[in-house]
Amino acid sequence: MDSDTNRDQIRSLMDRRANIRNMSVIAHVDHGKSTLSDSLVQRAGIISAAKAGEARFMDTRPDEQDRCITIKSTAISLYAKFPDPEDLKEIPQTVDGDEFLINLIDSPGHVDFSSEVTAALRVTDGALVVVDCVSGVCVQTETVLRQALTERIKPVLCINKVDRALLELQVSKEDLYQSFSRTIESVNVIISTYFDKALGDVQVYPDRGTIAFGSGLHGWCFTVRQFAVKYAKKFGVDRKKMLERLWGDNYFNPKTKKWTNKGEHEGKPLERAFNQFILDPIFKIFAAVNHNKRDEIFTLLDKLEVSLTNDEKDLEGKALLKLIMRKFLPAADALLEMICIHLPSPVTAQKYRAETLYEGPTDDKACIGIRDCDPSAPLMLYVSKMVPTSDKGRFYAFGRVYAGTVKSGIKVRIQGPNYIPGRKEDLFIKAIQRTILMMGRFVEPIEDVPAGNIVGLVGVDQFLLKSGTLTTDETAHNMKVMKFSVSPVVQRSVEVKNAQDLPKLVEGLKRLSKSDPCVLTMINESGQHIVAGAGELHLEICLKDLEEDHAGVPLRISDPVVAYRETVAGESSMTALSKSPNKHNRLYMTAQPIEEEVSLAIESGKISPRDDFKARARVLADEYGWDVTDARKIWCFGPDTTGANLLIDQTKAVQYLNEIKDSVVSGFQWATREGPVAEEPMRSVRFNILDVTLHADAIHRGGGQIIPTARRALYAAAMLADPALLEPIFNVEIQVPEQAMGGIYGVLTRRRGHVYTEEQRPGTPLFNVKAYLPVNESFGFPADLRSATGGQAFPQSVFDHWSILPGGSPLDPTTKPGQVVQEMRKRKGIKEVVPGYENYYDKL
Amino acid sequence: MLHLVGLGLADETDITVRGLEIVKRAERVYLEAYTSILLVDKEKLEAFYGRPVIEADRELVETGSDDILADGDKVDIVFLVVGDPFGATTHTDLVLRARELGIETKVVPNASIMSGIGCTGLQLYNFGQTVSMVFFTETWKPSSYYDRVRENVQTGLHTLVLLDIKVKEQSLENMARGRRIFEPPRYMTVAQCAAQMLETEEERQEGVYGPDSLAVGAARVGAANQQLVSGTLKELSTVEMGAPLHSLVLLGRRTHDLERDYIREYAVNKETFDASYAKGYGASL
Repeated sequence: MDSDTNRDQIRSLMDRRANIRNMSVIAHVDHGKSTLSDSLVQRAGIISAAKAGEARFMDTRPDEQDRCITIKSTAISLYAKFPDPEDLKEIPQTVDGDEFLINLIDSPGHVDFSSEVTAALRVTDGALVVVDCVSGVCVQTETVLRQALTERIKPVLCINKVDRALLELQVSKEDLYQSFSRTIESVNVIISTYFDKALGDVQVYPDRGTIAFGSGLHGWCFTVRQFAVKYAKKFGVDRKKMLERLWGDNYFNPKTKKWTNKGEHEGKPLERAFNQFILDPIFKIFAAVNHNKRDEIFTLLDKLEVSLTNDEKDLEGKALLKLIMRKFLPAADALLEMICIHLPSPVTAQKYRAETLYEGPTDDKACIGIRDCDPSAPLMLYVSKMVPTSDKGRFYAFGRVYAGTVKSGIKVRIQGPNYIPGRKEDLFIKAIQRTILMMGRFVEPIEDVPAGNIVGLVGVDQFLLKSGTLTTDETAHNMKVMKFSVSPVVQRSVEVKNAQDLPKLVEGLKRLSKSDPCVLTMINESGQHIVAGAGELHLEICLKDLEEDHAGVPLRISDPVVAYRETVAGESSMTALSKSPNKHNRLYMTAQPIEEEVSLAIESGKISPRDDFKARARVLADEYGWDVTDARKIWCFGPDTTGANLLIDQTKAVQYLNEIKDSVVSGFQWATREGPVAEEPMRSVRFNILDVTLHADAIHRGGGQIIPTARRALYAAAMLADPALLEPIFNVEIQVPEQAMGGIYGVLTRRRGHVYTEEQRPGTPLFNVKAYLPVNESFGFPADLRSATGGQAFPQSVFDHWSILPGGSPLDPTTKPGQVVQEMRKRKGIKEVVPGYENYYDKL
Repeated sequence: MLHLVGLGLADETDITVRGLEIVKRAERVYLEAYTSILLVDKEKLEAFYGRPVIEADRELVETGSDDILADGDKVDIVFLVVGDPFGATTHTDLVLRARELGIETKVVPNASIMSGIGCTGLQLYNFGQTVSMVFFTETWKPSSYYDRVRENVQTGLHTLVLLDIKVKEQSLENMARGRRIFEPPRYMTVAQCAAQMLETEEERQEGVYGPDSLAVGAARVGAANQQLVSGTLKELSTVEMGAPLHSLVLLGRRTHDLERDYIREYAVNKETFDASYAKGYGASL
């Protein structure tokens, strides 16, 4: 298929919204997403069948190909056709013809890149969850699945690497069945934990066709439904009945020729229908090929109606096995069928996703347009990430059209994440230069793109940092900002080797920050450039990009350091008072810790500054036991107006208070961004304004007077409330064979880690060990672990929570926290001794 | 001893004879240069006094008062204030701190805008509370002055509105970074003040005044090129009055005929002035 017809075909399908499937492929690292995606891409004719499984078409970067991991998510549009009208009838939503357009996004599995997954999930409606049948459900499977469900993304499951179970582990049919059902069970446990009424029950079942089994590497895959269709025809029974019988405790008794749900007949065990009808042919093929029984192979092939050419018949071993299996159960058929039947179209999905996607009222034009996926409504487009172009320093804005139609040349409102309706900040009105179609490593220009489709835009990158909303409706609010499950907790500072390269570094940092949703770049007090990422690997990739690509100049990079948070462990021992420079204004404040659940709710967006204050107060009072009056008087969140620190107004009848609110809020943002102990951001601190004395005339209580005063009062309040440091903790999952377990414990203990669960994967010699490990101790952990276990243990670390750094007060330089603080202050180029509260406190 | 010496309103020659004598023999002379400014610069003062003068910005006065008061118990220190030393309340703090250190304080008064505004022909007896007007920002539009104006309006008194000046102000970012980079100085004009007053009225909708309310704008009071303009707030919101400093008086309804005759001379448009006046002003009301 040449590219023009391909594009035209895809463009015409874009209008048939009921036949579009926007889906992402998600999984734990190394469970075979990219390989599986290859099978689908191959079906669309872009890479040759021979290479499928090896090409990793979706891995577009050389380092991805080298390391064999996906780093950036990649999108591609695929075309699928349903030849059998019977199949179409099974689709539980409206269908418009037998041709389908599948927009597939392959996303990284390594936890460090899960912000890429978040960005991918935002623009899709369904997810193909891939699980390795040998290692089972892993930490990242759970993380991405949870993310998917909270975005109201419907999952289907693919149990991958079945070939490994057959070839390496040599399991029996029943063992394999049991292993499948355990994996399915654990996936369903996660799904039901995050049950969402609007989405309904989305647990996956083989006998409903929402699960596929196969091998991405060998290019084969099947669903129980496919076999049901085959046997239904053969036996002349109803498809549905057949489907139900091919999974679970259903047996065919060859003696009585009857179906039964008892596994025994006259004392003899019966073979489970799934094993007998589905696994048996597969096992037979494997056995025949492995033992190279040529005759047996060809009788089998005849039976299964698979024909080989003469050349192909000469193949042997794995190559032959791969070929036969691929002809017998082509992966693309099974997957495309499952995707088209069970994943929602944008029309279906946007109905229930509209309210969670949009920040504004549910009954305004924009929201109705999204709900109806209406291509003639005002444009609502969400840009979820920026993709670097071949043109250095420029980016394609990658996103999805939720309502309206986007065309080259139309003028749109580009609303950044801080845009507030009616204001002019973070808003640009610009024309879209070009709209494009993203095809793995290629792009194709396209005239226009209607609602429900994924699109790339040229000419928007200068006006958006990382993500944002594009609309043609002046009254439209923003689409909801994405929440990332990982936070940038590891940082390194960079400097140029040659001073004259500095401008290039600054420009490079800007580009880096744009190209990755989760990376943070900043300049600290002493003028150092800091890059923060989700983990060591993430940061390594970012810095490599920075050095080789974005900046293109040699860099000196410091050792990684951890981002800490400042908090308080108690309530202020007395009220903190600060006077304004002109002494006419006085602020009285106290600090106290916020309950961890509330901080988490703020960080996950459950409680947010954009909520209606009454509704928010209700939630705080009912679910977290807050005093309603306090909860209603939250002035703001911080830092950056969204963080997990709160400022509460507890004053009574103070005149002019609202005229200084802005200034106090600014002071609060400033103070929470750089705390008093080590200028690290604060977390989980609640500040109460108890009383305020103000000059009667506004001229004597402007920002210049109030902002620094508020900051001083907040610092004093925090310093009086038993300040503490929070350190980030990783959740580490380690897969290891039993004999190498001992090594893990030694390494973990040395690094202040502790194991909290340890279980054996049934049917394998592998153990899954889960542990908490301080991020600070995690540098070099994988290498250390490898050497302690003879290279047999593979850790996956993901940020899990914040925990108070034990060992005493951070203000005392002889304690461990004190030393950490001192080191940080030294690095930042500020006075090494932490100034006491007296520096911020004024006497009456 | 700490001497607070008023400088008057216009230029270097407005200082009183007593003040000048003290300045000439004092050990150190500070010039407070942020609550108001003189219409001439520091060099001119130094030439006139025949001695160096230290400029004291907000930071020095508010956080570095110990430097100012150093050795105050032994030598004479002069703190020059534009207008009258106690015209605005901000310098009481300096006196309090001097007191704590056992330093005696003496004051040399001078003309202030509070009295100088009499040049408009409006009788000082008929003034109510003075208010000040700050530069509004996108998010910060304090309107508490409006309530004070209402009190004045209710009793029929004039309101003197002092206008914001921003000298050596830091932007928020520079303040947070502790960088001593200052924004260029800004002075509010009569036109800006009138426009902001109307903006507050529009927001509050309580009818304390309106676009037709009469007011007098005064620029560079006390200087040779002093300028007065009267008219409705709407007219004043587009008036151009030249260099700083500006002040504005909102006319109270209990206006004496003499006052009317005096300000009518400066009207932007005598017809609208008369029409507005006839509607709501006059001693009989």
